[in-house]
Amino acid sequence: MRRAHWLAAVAAVVLSLLVPLVVQTDYKLQVLFRIYLFASLGLAWNLVGGYAGQLSLGHAAYFGAGAYGLALFSGTLGMSPWLAVLAGVAGAMACALLIGGVSFRLRGPYFALSTIAFAEILRLTAKNLPGLTGGDVGVPVPALFHGNINRSFYWAAVALAALSFALTVVISRAKFGYYLMAIREDEDTALSVGIGAARNKLAALLISAALTALAGALYASIFLFIVPDQVLALDVSNEIAIVAMLGGAGTVLGPIVGSVVLETASEIFKNTFKEAHQLIFGVLLVFVVLFLPGGIVGTIAGLLRRSDIPGEGA
Amino acid sequence: MDVYAALQAVINGLLTGALYALIGMGLALIFGVMRIVNFAHGAFMMLGMYVTYVLFTRTGISPYALFIVTGTILFAFGYVVYFALMRPIHGQSDFMQILLTLGVGLICTDAVQLIFGADYHQINIPLQDTNFRIGPNISVNAPWVVSFGIACVLALALYLFVMRTMTGRAARAIAQNRYAAPLMGINVFRVQAISFAVGSAAAGIAGALLLPVFYLYPGVGDQFTLKAFVMVVLGGMESIVGAALAGLVLGVVENLTSLYWGNEWALAVDFAIFVLVLSLKPSGIFGRQTV
Repeated sequence: MRRAHWLAAVAAVVLSLLVPLVVQTDYKLQVLFRIYLFASLGLAWNLVGGYAGQLSLGHAAYFGAGAYGLALFSGTLGMSPWLAVLAGVAGAMACALLIGGVSFRLRGPYFALSTIAFAEILRLTAKNLPGLTGGDVGVPVPALFHGNINRSFYWAAVALAALSFALTVVISRAKFGYYLMAIREDEDTALSVGIGAARNKLAALLISAALTALAGALYASIFLFIVPDQVLALDVSNEIAIVAMLGGAGTVLGPIVGSVVLETASEIFKNTFKEAHQLIFGVLLVFVVLFLPGGIVGTIAGLLRRSDIPGEGA
Repeated sequence: MDVYAALQAVINGLLTGALYALIGMGLALIFGVMRIVNFAHGAFMMLGMYVTYVLFTRTGISPYALFIVTGTILFAFGYVVYFALMRPIHGQSDFMQILLTLGVGLICTDAVQLIFGADYHQINIPLQDTNFRIGPNISVNAPWVVSFGIACVLALALYLFVMRTMTGRAARAIAQNRYAAPLMGINVFRVQAISFAVGSAAAGIAGALLLPVFYLYPGVGDQFTLKAFVMVVLGGMESIVGAALAGLVLGVVENLTSLYWGNEWALAVDFAIFVLVLSLKPSGIFGRQTV
């Protein structure tokens, strides 16, 4: 990134932080919160799914670990809320260590399937241990902010998105990022030139899980109450992956664009389709795979550079 | 825990397992011939249930006859989906193919929800009041026996289709080597389309047979997609015989889990088996024959 890019990024963050001066209705701030939250989630997923090319369809595991971490560490163990957030992040990273340790030995469809299986095991365990997690009845989550909560949560989501974005930029330009992309393009060749595929994939997953857990904690705290089918559901995993794919996997800007488009579309169609609002997810997913395999950003960047390598843009 | 309860669970498991087997065989056939993990498989089963439900409520004909119509409709549906969506992304990465079928599944599920609403439905047929007793302590509900019989016949038919027909041979050839197969004069796209359609029909028929003994709602297919994955991994990913055996095993394991630990753990045990098999013996526990 050149200096102009950094300036643009800083300006975008500052402008985002100033938005509550103009937008003050709770509903609009909540929608914006969701857009920035899913931008962070998409960016986090992008490290594993985009740069390392490992299709994780189980990111709900880390999201849920962050959410339940906050609820349980503060509720059951009596930690202060922000400390509990950190404990939840540590919990999510521990999950990532276990899941990655097993799943990264598998490739292609096997990997995707095993990530789903782990997330589902967590969801079912959370459902079936009411003594520990509250089960299907749910568990209360402490408030991370007081006073004007919609504005505070919005700012927190912007900060998290900025952090995720900065990390993505740094990683995509570091040796580590190139290792990940080499693994994505051809794992065997990467191994043959001395890139520790397992280690690098696991490192990417740990960072991704930590960011996802932070988002999960924010999400849980704005609702003040969570159940397993809400924060550990397959739908969450799917939505995270769709945000990144729609915008452009393996690009720094893709997940942000994807979140703006998907969450806006989802908000518009929620009223039209009621409970069937995932219809739009399905339609967008099929559309992207068939017509925009590089995602929105990847395709535009490809056109600008007249390059045919998907995911090289931004 | 007495022995009759365990025996009852095993019998129930085999009866459920036969329907699982049909779903798993369909997925294994599609995976073997196309190398696509069909994330819409459970949604196709759900479509089969709704098609049968609509036909049943309109005509009153028993689902045990209607499954033929359902199978035909799902066959045509699968054929169209293949040429409209799968064929254009032929040769792209697993990544894209998985996302495409995931999207197709979401569209099917939510389109059904839009049309029929999210309510649960159940149908009533006279057969549900009949129970067969084996000895004093074991009884079996008649619809399960009928669906078990039909599922076994169809599983055998599917096996013969793959082993004995020209199209089945071509499908196995593609599964063995998809680059050599076209050189032998096999029309890969036609055979893949038929395999995809047959796999979809198998899922749809399983849905029709499940209708009298199960609840019906738009998301019903989701858990079956996941169960089908478990079966296919357990059975060796591309072996339809392996998937069929895995279906029976899964049915029995689920019922025993329900008996001893409670129903709510059954699905979790499925996934635990799945993760164990994937990490310890990724080629599956039922050997490695192709399709």
